[in-house]
Amino acid sequence: MSNGGTSPASGIITRSYKPGSIVYFENDKSEYIYVVKAGLVILTSTKPETGEEVKEEVKPGEFFGVKSSLGKYPREETAQTVKETVCLVLTLADFERLILKNVNVVVKMLRIFSNQLRRIGRTVREVLGESNTVNPEMELFKIGEYYYRVGRFQQALYAYKRYMEYYPDTKYSDVAMKRIREIDSGRAEENVGSGMSMDMPDEPDVPDTRESGDVDMTDFSLDDSGPSSSEDMFQDSNDNEESIATEMDEFLNDPVDSDLESFSFDDEPAGETASGTDITEKFYDAMSSFSQGNFETAKDLYESILEQKNLKNDSEKKIYEKAHFEIGRTYYKMKKYKDAINAFSLLLKTFPKSENVKNALLHIGMIFYDTGKNDKASTYFQKVASMEPKDEVSRNAMKYLKALENK
Amino acid sequence: MLIDEKLFDKFGVEFSPGEIVFCEFEPGNEFYFIQSGKVEIVKIINNREKTLDILETGDVFGEMAILEEEPRSASAIALDHVKVLRFHRTNFDTLLHGNPQLAYKLLVIFSKRIYDAKRRLMILLLDDPQAKVMDVMNMLAEQDPHIDMQEAVTLHITIQDVANWAGMQIAEVQKILTHLNKLGKIELFNDRIIVRNIKDFQRLVNTRRKNMYS
Repeated sequence: MSNGGTSPASGIITRSYKPGSIVYFENDKSEYIYVVKAGLVILTSTKPETGEEVKEEVKPGEFFGVKSSLGKYPREETAQTVKETVCLVLTLADFERLILKNVNVVVKMLRIFSNQLRRIGRTVREVLGESNTVNPEMELFKIGEYYYRVGRFQQALYAYKRYMEYYPDTKYSDVAMKRIREIDSGRAEENVGSGMSMDMPDEPDVPDTRESGDVDMTDFSLDDSGPSSSEDMFQDSNDNEESIATEMDEFLNDPVDSDLESFSFDDEPAGETASGTDITEKFYDAMSSFSQGNFETAKDLYESILEQKNLKNDSEKKIYEKAHFEIGRTYYKMKKYKDAINAFSLLLKTFPKSENVKNALLHIGMIFYDTGKNDKASTYFQKVASMEPKDEVSRNAMKYLKALENK
Repeated sequence: MLIDEKLFDKFGVEFSPGEIVFCEFEPGNEFYFIQSGKVEIVKIINNREKTLDILETGDVFGEMAILEEEPRSASAIALDHVKVLRFHRTNFDTLLHGNPQLAYKLLVIFSKRIYDAKRRLMILLLDDPQAKVMDVMNMLAEQDPHIDMQEAVTLHITIQDVANWAGMQIAEVQKILTHLNKLGKIELFNDRIIVRNIKDFQRLVNTRRKNMYS
């Protein structure tokens, strides 16, 4: 079936196959991984759902037999050649050596594997009759309820807080807030360390319902002589935020509070003032108010968080950082665009690495959009759409870009 | 595995016992690499918390987040004092280029998980409840490399576990296991099941599977 040959340089075996040769059978156990050097290999497997035969071509330069070798399980497919074919036959050690020098190949494979795993997961859920259209928002809340009911408050608190963080505008936010307060007041120590480190996807309103007529333009001198193209503005990804923040400053002519520029976190305990007692609670109160449309209250609460100087722990520092974004978002909802831009600008300057940078840029674009500065809006949306990862924020930017095309 | 010291300074995070690392259904953007301690992976199924896995030093979890944001399919809770490296999806490429060993490890993990997921799917797709129950035992026996298939096989599982794997009601599983027990095919205990002849189960399930497709 094969003519073995060892390439002296690599020590890797090269094998030649006649057309129609079997490289391995389904259910064989072997640790070899193959790379097609020339010719063509067909992999034939059975689709578990239907029993139907699935064929897949492996072309020169491509691997096969990877998963079963790495996972040390039987071959899931039969590999057969269709032409004169030459393969490199790698042991796991060869493969590892090769891979370590070509990380790009691993990254590509990981993405493929990750996709396969998702697909199987979806099929499993379908077979189990679990709907694929589960509402994660509702389910996250239910996780909180589960832990709450069984008295595991630390876990419940985490789930409720996450719920409030991701879905502040939704129907169970009142209950979630109530539970958070209840747990907090009884077991305040559990506040500490329940880190808040995830992104906050934000779903803006559908863009095409905006009315620019009711915008107060008098105190909002958004300058049209901005950057002429996105290249000017975003020359270097490292100083994007800086250049944008500078641009904000220029057209607002509103110096940034220098206290904040030189602000340093220290580990001193919080002051004993009433306002210093619970920044976490304030933050959730603010989110709750925001979700109920009480923007004025939310704004006041965020303001008082931003006045805070002594932050106790990482969790509080994170909240402090998030409040910079949230207050901007609140101003945006109140259509106080200048204040909103100031807030986002401050966020970009003070926390250029914040998880909310992208969302802040989106909101700046939205402000330009709402005020009819379409070119500028477009620049920001394009920037956001090009930023990794491609998440909800990117998708929103895309939506706005579409809306701009039709505007 | 060798991990760059600097990595821990930059990506290291610690959790105390009982602390949630991430929660089922929250959006996932980060994956984790355990440096020390134990992490329990759990899922709430039918109003019960079910342990799916307990992970230790060197294990990776949350790895589905490397592709795109999707709600977490399970929760991760620290069992003791846990040190992890936490990587955001956006750092993924850089991270792997700096640590090809980690890339290789992830590849192995994914290969295993795909196989396990497919194997589970094979059970669920069987059209006969008894075959499903038997195939759960086949699967668990296959997973343990120390098991000698020629001998009686001891599986440390409960009826609830079998029901979860087979996607069936406990009562129905109970009935089937009791029946198999009476026939002398298995010995049923609270915390374990002894299968007299697992090869027998494998043959039965394979035949069933073939008939199903034809």
